[in-house]
Amino acid sequence: MIIRQCSWRARQFQQLWRPFNFRNLHGQREALEDKRWPGWEVVVGIEVHAQIKSRRKLFSDTRTSRPGETPNAFVSSYDAALPGTLPTLNPKCVELAVRTALALNSQIQSRSAFDRKHYFYSDLPAGYQITQRYAPLAQGGYLRLPQGGVNVRITQIQLEQDTAKSTLDARRRVTQVDLNRAGSGLMEIVSEPDMRSPEEAGDYVRTLQAMLRSVGASDGSMELGSLRCDVNVSVNKLGYPHGTRCEIKNLNSVKFMTVAITSEVFRHIQLLESGQTVPQETRGFDEAKAETFKLRSKEDSPDYRYMPDPNLPPLLLSPEYIDCIRKSMPELPEATRRRLTRMGLTEQEAEVLMAVDAGREVGFDGEPGKGAVAYFDRLAQGRNARTAVNWMTHELLGQLAARKETFSDNPVSLGQLGELIDMVQSSKITGTSGKTLLRHIISHRSTASPLTLAQELSLVAISDDDGVLVKKWCSEAIEALPEEVDKVRQGNLKVMNRLVGKVMQLSGGRANAGDVRSVLGELLQ
Amino acid sequence: MRLGPRTLSHTFGPATCRQKSSSKRFACTHQSLEQLNSSVNALVAISKTPRRTQHHGPLEGVTIAVKDNICTSLLPTTCSSAMLSDYTSPFDATVVRLLSDAGAHVIGKANCDEFGMGSLNVNTIHGPVINPHQSPHARNLPWALRERRSAGGSSGGSAASVAAGMCGVALGTDTGGSVRLPASYCGVVGLKPSYGLISRWGVISFADSLDCVGVIGKSINAIEKVFDVVSVYDKRDPTSATSELREKARSSAESCLPALSSGAQPTSLEGLRIGIPQEYFPVELDQSVISSLRTVIKGLAAMGASIVPVSLPATQYALSAYYVIATAEASSNLARFDGIQYGLRVPLPPGATRSKPSDVYAFSRSAGLGREVQKRILLGTYALTADAFDNYFLQAQRVRTHIKSDFNNVFRHHSVHLHLNRASAPRNGVDVLLHPSAIRTAPLLDGNGESEREGHEAPGLDEYLQDVMTVPASLAGLPALSVPAGLADDGWPVGVSVVGQWGSDELVLRIGRVIEELR
Repeated sequence: MIIRQCSWRARQFQQLWRPFNFRNLHGQREALEDKRWPGWEVVVGIEVHAQIKSRRKLFSDTRTSRPGETPNAFVSSYDAALPGTLPTLNPKCVELAVRTALALNSQIQSRSAFDRKHYFYSDLPAGYQITQRYAPLAQGGYLRLPQGGVNVRITQIQLEQDTAKSTLDARRRVTQVDLNRAGSGLMEIVSEPDMRSPEEAGDYVRTLQAMLRSVGASDGSMELGSLRCDVNVSVNKLGYPHGTRCEIKNLNSVKFMTVAITSEVFRHIQLLESGQTVPQETRGFDEAKAETFKLRSKEDSPDYRYMPDPNLPPLLLSPEYIDCIRKSMPELPEATRRRLTRMGLTEQEAEVLMAVDAGREVGFDGEPGKGAVAYFDRLAQGRNARTAVNWMTHELLGQLAARKETFSDNPVSLGQLGELIDMVQSSKITGTSGKTLLRHIISHRSTASPLTLAQELSLVAISDDDGVLVKKWCSEAIEALPEEVDKVRQGNLKVMNRLVGKVMQLSGGRANAGDVRSVLGELLQ
Repeated sequence: MRLGPRTLSHTFGPATCRQKSSSKRFACTHQSLEQLNSSVNALVAISKTPRRTQHHGPLEGVTIAVKDNICTSLLPTTCSSAMLSDYTSPFDATVVRLLSDAGAHVIGKANCDEFGMGSLNVNTIHGPVINPHQSPHARNLPWALRERRSAGGSSGGSAASVAAGMCGVALGTDTGGSVRLPASYCGVVGLKPSYGLISRWGVISFADSLDCVGVIGKSINAIEKVFDVVSVYDKRDPTSATSELREKARSSAESCLPALSSGAQPTSLEGLRIGIPQEYFPVELDQSVISSLRTVIKGLAAMGASIVPVSLPATQYALSAYYVIATAEASSNLARFDGIQYGLRVPLPPGATRSKPSDVYAFSRSAGLGREVQKRILLGTYALTADAFDNYFLQAQRVRTHIKSDFNNVFRHHSVHLHLNRASAPRNGVDVLLHPSAIRTAPLLDGNGESEREGHEAPGLDEYLQDVMTVPASLAGLPALSVPAGLADDGWPVGVSVVGQWGSDELVLRIGRVIEELR
């Protein structure tokens, strides 16, 4: 008995086969004239696969690994798909995906479910990948691009397993399989076809990367493979419906992505202008030739035989749970920028801190990473924010940069820098001594307290209440530089600086420049 | 190969088995086990590890056979498949660990249909299981001359090892009747618990949404002891029922029958409502099976139970839905047997492309998976293709929903899964259902040995029909117990099934015990 009736699942299934709802889209954005292809409109949608920054895999308690670690060292019986094993959902992965959904203004579904996607390949030990085809974790939402203020709409966010890595050893003619990555958690973030140029696509990915990093959901590194993009490109005459799209797979840098889109746009235009049609295809990208090439046509696309996973119960997320995650969300980049300027930082200073912060290591399982902003926040606690940011950007970052080191190499602990600043502020040491001390800590990787070091290095400022020492150094300086003394006496006060410099030299930087100036003034009257 | 007439007459048979209560210490040496097994072929691996003598636990002294699709780290786990003929799991299934921790001794691995696919235990690389039952008509015949009947499947080895007295209890798995059918054919008790009560961690999946670990024993007592130990929440099984849900279902079942839950065996069944589903009497049902059931019904009615005819109208679609769902899930679950990480891998024939994973997989899978398994994988693969998904897989899921609501409509208590209040349950509902376990007694094993299937056509629909009585409870995830109900006219055992609401396993077992004592 066969009943032709459409269930909710089947309806969803069909909707997913037409992921781009073109009708709604038209008229949403003003068509942009692009000098490279006048009269044509480019439409881009992107599927991003971002590795979830969790210590454990999505369905097993095996540690996740980085590329380059010993192959097959992080594999449990479940990851290797040994018979009799069953999945257990890692709640940390869900939490990080929920953070992402919140940051993307997406509607988190109170009920989502897991499905199996089947294909036979050496990178898939179970013969299927667990994903969320029919009922994704979150639907809708948007990402606002800072440039141009464009909102790119999000279709859905789903959880899925990463595959293993198979590499073909051409010489030995064998395929090598490394299961380290197998079963790590991924978020698939699908955008609507809302981007209108290769550059906008680049902006989208970069903005998404920064967002993922700031909420701690992913490293977002295309180079390390923790963020991978499949790009859908179509081209149409301005004012006409969208063209046939082609998917470009496995792009591993933003630069290559924009190059690939540009080349694909020209290919489509060439086909259309010569009166041909664009066949729907999946294409790869040849980095050396800067061209895309055909992988398979629509007819060859595999039937993945999606099936609801019978082992995993539906994922039910209560409003209380989502609320709890919303409250514990790390700050988004926009909010950080606003907060820093409110604290009194200039926009430029905030920008420097955030740029340095963007390079930080993202913490596992949503734990806060050790970035420049977090360092600054703690440094500024109980201190003047501007003083703190000056010491951090000009002195600490400056000296690190001079040594060709980055902030992640920073050996100066928060305690050390804080104490150092306090010593300068309370005139225990001079500013000059402070800089010397900082240089010493960095170059010697010293963990000692700045006070101890200042004493060891005789950098403690002179606290002679009667000014005997300063007077002595000043007299010495007057004796040593008679010509300069004459000039000062004749009224050339600029030369005074040379005398002060001499005193500082004699004191080893410990004298207070203001004191010296007034003592010298008295002596030369 | 076959046991000679000399040993036969006094080593086993219903008479000898009955003397050895499974709850008592049953000392069976490795040698005598092998001797017994040579005629029944119930075990495919016999444990050589000596029994621990100083272990104290609730199952101290209990001997257990474990179906060969349940992982054991000390014995191979082959699933009766060439694909896994050399496979030993690196871990013990949760059930095996629980049993060992409770002091039970695993005597060996029980023969079964390949990956649990079959109803006769003939789809196995180890050869078919011979039903050890001794028909009274054949008592004077030497073993070799007696008719050879199937032990049923797919847990045929588990049922036969219990029936032959090789062990006190056996673990089987039941996807669509694989515990109840062999229990019925071999004249022993077989429980398929509510779905999710016994952990499936370490149980090699056939169809995850239907697979249940089941317990087979000589008596309800023997089963209950083991069931109590293994029916616990396991965080490694995502479908394992939580402790709260178990408790909720238990108290719900208890409230309906305070007399039955008082511990002591009841003398009266006053207040108990037993439903007889009218759809469970198909034309294929053997007449003498009906008379056995009638005897049981009479006995229960005499004790005060109300016998209520009920209707489960979706039953007619159950078998079709079952075979779509089970094969679809099987096609997915068995995709992992590609010969890459483990299992059989055959050298590629000339002309095959080594660099193409599909070639490498196809030859190993064709060599390693038997005909019935291949057939079901193909059926299931088809049901999941984009073109067929709606008309087959989704349609089967809809039928499954109908079957579940059929059951909910007749039971006095709603399923605890439904989150409904008690008031909405049908007032005149029944507490349990009673029906025949199988349409007939054990079928003959045609041919004369292990190669029944060779050269024959793959089984037709007849074999699938064996499951018609058992699949509805599987689809609904309900507890179902097959209890021996005497012998049919041909002298072979008949089983009747007690089916209850989800989580009412204790109630089902209690009623099973009443039936057991009617005999």
